Order: sequence, then structure tokens, then C-alpha cells
Amino acid sequence: MTAPFPTRRQEEWRYADLDALKPVWEQLAEPVTMTVGAGEELEEIWLPSSDEVQLRRIRLALGEGAEARIFALNTAPVYGRIELEVSLAQEANFELFCANIGTGLSTNEIVTTVKHAGGRGRSRQIVRSVLNGKATGSYLGKVEVARGAQQTDAEQSVKAMLLDRGATANCKPELEIFADDVKCAHGATVGELDPMQLFYAESRGLDPASARALLLEGFVMGLWDNASDPGAICTAARDALRRVV
Amino acid sequence: MTDRATDTVRNREAHEAAEKLADYEWGFVSNVEQEFAPKGLSEDTVRFISAKKNEPEWMLDWRLKAYRAWLEMDEVSWAKLDIPPIDYQDAYYYAAPKQKPKLGSLDEVDPEILRVYEKLGIPIEEQKVLAGVEGARKVAVDAVFDSVSVATTFREELKKAGVIFLSISEAIREYPELVQKYLGSVVPQRDNYFACLNSAVFSDGTFVYVPEGVRCPMELSTYFRINAENTGQFERTLIVADKDSYVSYLEGCTAPMRDENQLHAAVVEIFAHEDAEVKYSTVQNWYPGDAEGKGGIFNFVTKRALCSGDRSKVSWTQVETGSAITWKYPSCILKGDGSVGEFYSVALTNNRQQADTGTKMIHIGANTRSTIVSKGISAGRSNNTYRGLVRVLPRAENVRNFTQCDSLLLGSDCGAHTVPYIEVKNPTAQIEHEATTSKISEDQLFYAMSRGLDQEAAVALIVNGFAREVLKQLPMEFAVEAQKLLGISLEGSVG
Amino acid sequence: MLEITDLHATVAGKAILNGLTLSVPAGEIHAIMGPNGAGKSTLGYVLAGRPGYEATGGAVTFDGQDLLGMEPHERAAAGLFLGFQYPVEIPGISYLQFLRESLNSQRRSRGEPDLSGGEFIKLARSQAALLGMHAEMLKRPVNVGFSGGEKKRAEMVQMGIMNPKFAVLDETDSGLDIDALRAVGAGINRIMRAPEKGVLLITHYQRLLDYVEPDRVHVLRNGRIERSGGPELAHELEREGYTEAAA
Repeated sequence: MTAPFPTRRQEEWRYADLDALKPVWEQLAEPVTMTVGAGEELEEIWLPSSDEVQLRRIRLALGEGAEARIFALNTAPVYGRIELEVSLAQEANFELFCANIGTGLSTNEIVTTVKHAGGRGRSRQIVRSVLNGKATGSYLGKVEVARGAQQTDAEQSVKAMLLDRGATANCKPELEIFADDVKCAHGATVGELDPMQLFYAESRGLDPASARALLLEGFVMGLWDNASDPGAICTAARDALRRVV
Repeated sequence: MTDRATDTVRNREAHEAAEKLADYEWGFVSNVEQEFAPKGLSEDTVRFISAKKNEPEWMLDWRLKAYRAWLEMDEVSWAKLDIPPIDYQDAYYYAAPKQKPKLGSLDEVDPEILRVYEKLGIPIEEQKVLAGVEGARKVAVDAVFDSVSVATTFREELKKAGVIFLSISEAIREYPELVQKYLGSVVPQRDNYFACLNSAVFSDGTFVYVPEGVRCPMELSTYFRINAENTGQFERTLIVADKDSYVSYLEGCTAPMRDENQLHAAVVEIFAHEDAEVKYSTVQNWYPGDAEGKGGIFNFVTKRALCSGDRSKVSWTQVETGSAITWKYPSCILKGDGSVGEFYSVALTNNRQQADTGTKMIHIGANTRSTIVSKGISAGRSNNTYRGLVRVLPRAENVRNFTQCDSLLLGSDCGAHTVPYIEVKNPTAQIEHEATTSKISEDQLFYAMSRGLDQEAAVALIVNGFAREVLKQLPMEFAVEAQKLLGISLEGSVG
Repeated sequence: MLEITDLHATVAGKAILNGLTLSVPAGEIHAIMGPNGAGKSTLGYVLAGRPGYEATGGAVTFDGQDLLGMEPHERAAAGLFLGFQYPVEIPGISYLQFLRESLNSQRRSRGEPDLSGGEFIKLARSQAALLGMHAEMLKRPVNVGFSGGEKKRAEMVQMGIMNPKFAVLDETDSGLDIDALRAVGAGINRIMRAPEKGVLLITHYQRLLDYVEPDRVHVLRNGRIERSGGPELAHELEREGYTEAAA
């Protein structure tokens, strides 16, 4: 049984391109469940496909002391959505490094819900968006800290770069906290390339287009630093950037 | 606070002066035959209200238009609030001035309330007035009391400057062109469910107009505004600042507003022309209900400023405590180029209170700036939510926004939530948003206590430090009261 | 080699350079000194082409070419190097990547072949070593977490790698301790003292000039060169200050 088709009124579909999703909902709707057992480790690298509409719906459960690291590149030509629900038992550790790179009329979004059920868990979400044309890039990230999940350490760092007027960056880093001895911080910025950095790069010989590309590259590429085998995702990211810049 | 003797003298003077006004202000009210409009809300209720207030035809038409629109609207349910359904027919929408129960002396007043007055440093005479003790003076709405001024001289000064400051009912009669021009220009009738209801049945409120080039010579306040009448239910406030003017407006009362009315749906509109600046400060202590959360007030407020002219500026500062359920989002529409919007808020919840508050900054003009500083303090079993929106439209070049949301949790049974929306459609915008969550550290507490403070006082001290950035935005007298208020509201939250 | 004639320049609408004339022949090192706010950094930025620094009059030729008509990256390819007073941080891009791409960009403009990854690393490492900088620093993102002195040293490593024809060094000595100063001075002498190269040292204090002896010293005041002399002028300025010396 396929889940009911979502509506705009649902918070987590607020910025979605539902028209693009409708025709393929049946095929893509089923969420995938993954479990990482106590003390175990998981690393995932999610590369984009060449499909126009790409949807990933994952439910991830981390057992006690488990660790999961996900590196994801979201760059569908029409509509891309990564939906991730993570629950952390005590002392579990979760890291997400994700980039939205969009051009044309594309809509790419990352929607996460991270639930700290047990204490002393750690979550880190680093998201970078680069958008030009009339593309939309969104991050909706909810961090829930349950009562009693003391000494949780949750971090969200979301940055977006708009290259054209008409591109849209949406950011909703949400915190729902029921425990008092926790460290929960989030930062979100939307801005443009630093003109001084551009000048510095050009003064060293890079023409303006290459300088922009380099700086945008730096903005995104830092995401993959901790991946054990970043080759494929680096290449895919560079290709995507080349289309945008 | 100064010594009691001087206070008593000053209060007497103030009361005498106010009484002169009171006789004038409430002149028309004493002719009321019926005490209440019939229960429920119908077109007749609206007509009744308009007639009781002697309103001109255009005002009745405006109300009716809103009422008809309200009938077609859906109620809102998206906040993280636990709202029991409201039966709109089971309420009185107009109540004539209700006499407070005549109490023989302060001994008959609820000792809880007296304790609060004492803690706030309110002199005995004032306490009598507030509690409705027989023989105490009646006080006029919209009169201003600061520690030295007296109502009559205050009115003279405003008149000289050309500043119009009266109740909105009076303004509708005395300055109809002005009211007609601006009423509903910032919060249109259909804006939301409660604003629509308010437009139909608003009872009273404040009207301020500051003419071009005028810097209002004093803070306008409804500080010790005593609701001898039950008019707090559906308040409507309209503030218009003409070109290059300045006004600072204070709303609220630190004494607990005890009220049986379930529903409060207020609307505040601010219209700022070119180079005008409006500061709107609120210190509100709604009666929070008992420790079990029963008997509190539902408070839905639509507050919005339109920075219409270039380089206009509106600052919202609020300190909110209590209130069983609060829903308010003071907002700024930054239309004029170079206009500035600011929002500074401290919201403290205790026991089983709930608060869902925040702001919306809509950047339409170029070079517009917004600053948001929100400090939420949760204690007891309460829930405190910040909900905000920063939106930059495509033509808004060079926008700058900075948002800081901090939550302080006292104890492990409360909740703190942050729900910020950031929607940017212009590449030159620089938007920065930060949020942190913390608790009072053992070290801080120990340090304060080792210097002689008991635990409650120590917590109050630290909480005030946490809220300092917001408190310093308030005019001084308000800031002092606000600090005390925070301390009182924290009672019972520790240990 | 570098001919500046009657240069006028504004920054944010304010006139900073008011008819500056200066000529640096090939093979020479010139120093520009002056009080703060005189326009020293402005001169450096105008020569490098920083946006917001408008040349409103006069001319600058470099090797016979009109410099002001060239984009910043074209000036770099033509052989001009500006050592920044405040080197810029670029997170996410390693020094190696940044400099390799920049250098190859320049080489392509000049019709020269790219250096391979391996060739570049070799070049970068040797230049770093010559300036007393750990090779590991090159793997870090550009200038991120570098101290002031490390940033200046890194600028010199860049200069060694680019091997420009002409270097304009803006307060390269500020923030350096004695050892770093010595290393930087040695670096400038090694890389730039040559009959076909030239250097313009912009400096507030004269101590760098103990290590890099200039052929000429100019005083920049009120947006123009008010006085010129030999190396001893620097010592005079140090003793007497700028107001005295201008007299």
C-alpha cells in the first residue's frame, strides 16, 4: 500500500515540487529502513542518478553507541528530495554531509528528522546549497531531544549560496528540546561570494569565471573531507558545480 | 522606589488629576442601560457594539464587512499549542463598564495578589486602586503615570507638539479621516481569523498620530492602565508616525491582569512614513492560571508594522510572562528602501504555561535590515516556542538580517523549541541565524549563592543576565519592572 | 618597467591618490614609505585592479603595456604580483589546489603548458622549504588558521611559485618577528633581485629595508610622491618622522 500523496499543507512538503512528484510517487514512495546495531558503524555515500525526479526516503535507527555517516549529493534536474528520519539510542553518533546543487527550474530539498531518544548522543548535520537560475534549494531539519536524553550534542550548520536573482534558498533548522543538560546549536546563513576572496583569486591569475568556480568548489567540497572514499562524490559534485557556475 | 510618604502624596495628586479626566472620559458610559449584549456573536451583536459606542455609519459598515468575512474563515491550528476548542457563541462580546467587587479593605484582597504588588514595589494607595478597594480613586484609561508627572501637564505637552493620543473610540469620532485612512492598512480584515474577529467586535484601544517632523516629547504609555471596564478583550491599537517623526510607546502592566475572559484577540497596527521611528515596548504579565494551569487566558495578538517610507524604523520589544496560551508574532514589513525592523523578546513560561511567539520580517525594499533577538526561558512543565520568518523577496537588494535565538531551560520537565523559517530569493542578501540552548550551570549557581543569594535570587540574577540584551532595549522604568517581573515569575521553578 | 604617470584614484567616492608619478626601472627595488592613510595600500590595490578602487586619471604602463586597461588575472599573467597586506582566507580549498590552478591559468594565458600535478608539488615544496614553511601547511585551506606571520610567509611562497616579473609588496613586514623578517627578506632578495625584474616595497617602518636594501625611497603623502631619495632617506624618516621629513 502506497502512502497517501502528500499536500502542501504538510510542513515537511512545504517547498516541494509536488507536480513533478505525482507521476512517480507510486514507484518511489516506499521508505527504506536501515538499522545500525549497537556499537556498529555505517558509512553511506549517496550519489545522484540521472533521473529527472529522484526521491530517497530513509528511516535509520541507531542502536547504543552506533555510528552512522552519510555523504549525499542532491542535484536532480527537476525534483530531488532526500528524506531522512534518524533515531539515536544513547551514545549513538550521526553525521550528515549534504549538498544541494541546483540550476534551471529544479527543486532540491533535504528533509531530516533526528530524534535523540537516549542520552549522550551526538548528531551533526552540515548542509551546503549552491543555486542559480530559478532553482530552489531547501533544508528542513528537525532535531528532537526527548525528555531524559541528557548530554545530547546536536549541531546543524546550513549555508546557501545564490548565484542569480530568481534562485531561492529555504532553510528551516528546527529544535524541539525537552531535556535541559544538552548542547544544541544551529547556524544558518545565506549569502553571496566574498568579493575580497574573488579578487584574491583573480590577482593570482584566475579569470573571474574560474575564480567563482573555485570558491564555490571550496564551499561545497569541504563536505567530503571525512569520507573514506570520496572520489566518486567529488567528481559528481564538481560536475554539478560546473553546470551551475 | 522612593519612600512611601512621597509616593502617597504624588499618587494623590495624580489621582486627583486623573479623576478630573475620568469624569470626562467615562461621561458617556454612565448612560448605559444594558449591561451586556446578548450572549453570542451575530450581526446584531456587531450593531449593538457600534451603537453603544456612538460610531459613525462608516465604522459600522467596516465592522459588518469584517464580520461577514469572519463567518467564512477557518480557524488556525498549526502552533504547538494545546488549545481546547473555543465556542464563539458562548461568550459576551460587549460588556458595559463592570464595577470591580467592592472590597472593604486590603484585608479582603487575595493575599497572593498583594504579595505581588509588594514585591513590585507598588505603593499602598496604588494597590488599593488596582485591587478595587472601596474609596480608592477610579482611574482613567490611557492616563500616564510615571514617578513625577501628572496627567494634566502631560496632556498639555502633547497638545503643544501636535501629537494625537487618545482611545480609538474617541479617535473614530474626533479624527475620522485619519482613522479611516489607516485602519486596516497594515493588518487587513481578512489577514487571519482572529484579526478578522477583532475587526468586527473590537472594543477599544489606543490611537496615536505623530505629525511630520515631531519627536514625541514623552513616552506614551498605558502603563498603570486600570481596566475599570472590561475592555481588554478585543483591543485595537493604531499608531501612525508621519515623516521624520519619533514615538516610543509602552504597553502593558506588571501587575497581574486577572480576567475571567477566556479569549483575547488584539490587533496592533503601526504605520511608519519616511524617516519615522517607532519603538513599541510590551511588558505583559498575564495571570498565568494556577499551578495546574487552570484559569489562564488565551491571548491571540496580531501585531504588525508597515515600514512604508524609506529609512523608516520600527522596533518591537517584549517581555512576556504568564498567560496560559499565548500566540503572537509582532512583524515588520520592510517596504521602504533602507527601512529597519527589530524584534527583541524575552518570553518566560513556568508551571504549565505555553507560549508560541516570534516575529516575521518581510524584506521588500532594497538595503533593508532586520535584527531578531529572542530569549526564551522555560521552567516548570512549560513549553516555550520561538517561531520566526525571515523572507527576502527577489527585488530586495542588499538585505541584511541577523537572528539570535537562545533558550534557557530550568529543570528537566520543560521544553524549549525553535522553529525558524528562512526564505531568500535574492542573491545579494546576507542572512545569519544562530540558535543555542542551555541551562543554568551548577558553577554559576554556586558562585551566586556563595556570595549570599538564596537559590531563587541566584536563579533570578542569572536569568536576568541571560535576558539582558533584550531588557536594555526597554525604557528604564519598564526595564526595572521587567526584571522584577522575571524574578517573580520564576517562583516555584527551582528546587 | 613600471611607469606611473599622474595617477588619480578614488575609493568609495573619496579621492586618495592625487597625481602620483613614479618610475621603477627594471633591475631596481624601490620603497614607498608614508604616514598611515596616505594611500599606500590604495596604490597597491589600484595596480592590482581591485574592484572599488577607481583610477580616475593618469596612466600606468607595465613593460610598455597599459596596465589599467587589464583585468586582475591578465595583470597576473603579464607578470605582476601583489603581496596583500591582509591575505585572504579561502576555506575548503587547499593551498596546493589554489596555487596550482592559478599558476596554470597564468601559464595558459602566456601560451605555456600546464605543470602536471607532480611537477607542481615539487615546485611548491621547494619554495616552501626555502622560506622555512612546513610543506604540510600547503595542504591546509588557504590561509585558514594561519597566524599573521604565517600568512605573510605564505605570500612569499606564492611569489616564489609564480615567479613574477614585478612584485608590489604591501606592508609585507607587518606582523613578522625577527626570524620571519629575515626569511622574508632573504626570499625577496632571492626571488626578485634580477636585472629583468622589479619590486615596489610598500612599508610603514624601515626595518624590512635593513634586509632588502632599496635603490630608491619615496615618500607618499597627500596622495602623491612628495619626496624621493636614496636608501639613507629611509633612515632619516625613521629618525625624524614623516611630518618633519616632508619639510
